[in-house]
Amino acid sequence: MRVLVAVPALNEAEVIGQVLKSLSAAHPLADVVIVDDGSRDATASIARAAGAHVVSHAINLGVGAAMGTAFKYAVRNGYDAVIQFDGDGQHRTEHIHELIEALDGADIVIGSRFAVGGSYKSSAARRSVQRLIAGVTSLFARTRLTDATSGFRIAGPRALAVFAEHYPVEWLGDTVESIVLATRQNLTVREIPVDMNERAGGVPSQSVFRATLYTARILFILGLSTIRSVPPSVRKARQRAIAEVAA
Amino acid sequence: MTPQILAIVMAVVLLVAVIVLLRSYVLPEKYAVLWLIAAVAAIVLSAWPGLLEAVSRFFGIASAINLLFVGAFFVMFLLLMQITLELARTRDELRRAVQRLALDVEKASRDNDN
Repeated sequence: MRVLVAVPALNEAEVIGQVLKSLSAAHPLADVVIVDDGSRDATASIARAAGAHVVSHAINLGVGAAMGTAFKYAVRNGYDAVIQFDGDGQHRTEHIHELIEALDGADIVIGSRFAVGGSYKSSAARRSVQRLIAGVTSLFARTRLTDATSGFRIAGPRALAVFAEHYPVEWLGDTVESIVLATRQNLTVREIPVDMNERAGGVPSQSVFRATLYTARILFILGLSTIRSVPPSVRKARQRAIAEVAA
Repeated sequence: MTPQILAIVMAVVLLVAVIVLLRSYVLPEKYAVLWLIAAVAAIVLSAWPGLLEAVSRFFGIASAINLLFVGAFFVMFLLLMQITLELARTRDELRRAVQRLALDVEKASRDNDN
């Protein structure tokens, strides 16, 4: 199975070199693509010099759009699966093989910070927010998920086909909404415990106001997805596939 | 048919239109919140005229219909302002994307010549 590691990155010049260096020990850099989401620093040139492929957005479109580009890149270049790996040094490379192995029997595997076996430390408020979001998402996925917003995940061949056609682009909604979207296409989602590093760069948003807004927004997106039908592009792709089988 | 029923029907049509557009992925979430609030407010105000009267009395406005006009005018102003700002931002992004594309195509053709 050909696996692509996709790294969405925005202004990560300070850490991207180090991230790619540690990544190279776990995965060949020829099968790594950095999706530079409109960085204004040297992120793209550093990544290219390190030996990874770089796709640059001319303007900033958000993580969801960056992953959408990565899935299209994967289909175009004949990959079977895509691992999302953050460019800020939060994710650990030793879990990459575990994600690939866990793909056997599932379409999407999520690396969970809160699953049994993980040791991620966070405040009680943050944890309860994550628990609420994960609880609601679990209802959709019909399986117990403890960390729906984790950006450390792998999408197998069937999920890749769906995500290359349509991947959610709304701010902060992509991680959760993609799970619901996949579930509605009868794809299976599971999770494995992972450890994560403290963020090397950037400051996580901690204010109560932002956290509330974030939770409300994700719950709104989840509620919305209950009334939403299949995205038109996904439906067309499925009709094409059925037509091909019939022909 | 009383005018109130007409008002309620129009408000419900607005809400259904918003939901149908949301459902088919035409209307993005970002703008949906505003339109959902507007549609629900229209339904509440048309189904419960007493509310408008009460709020008018609170502000000391003699005729309730004036409050409706002022309120609607203000909401329209905010919506238009939001659209104008979005349009300005989108134009700016489009310009940058096209410039970037032009430079990259030129670079690619030069690389092919070598």
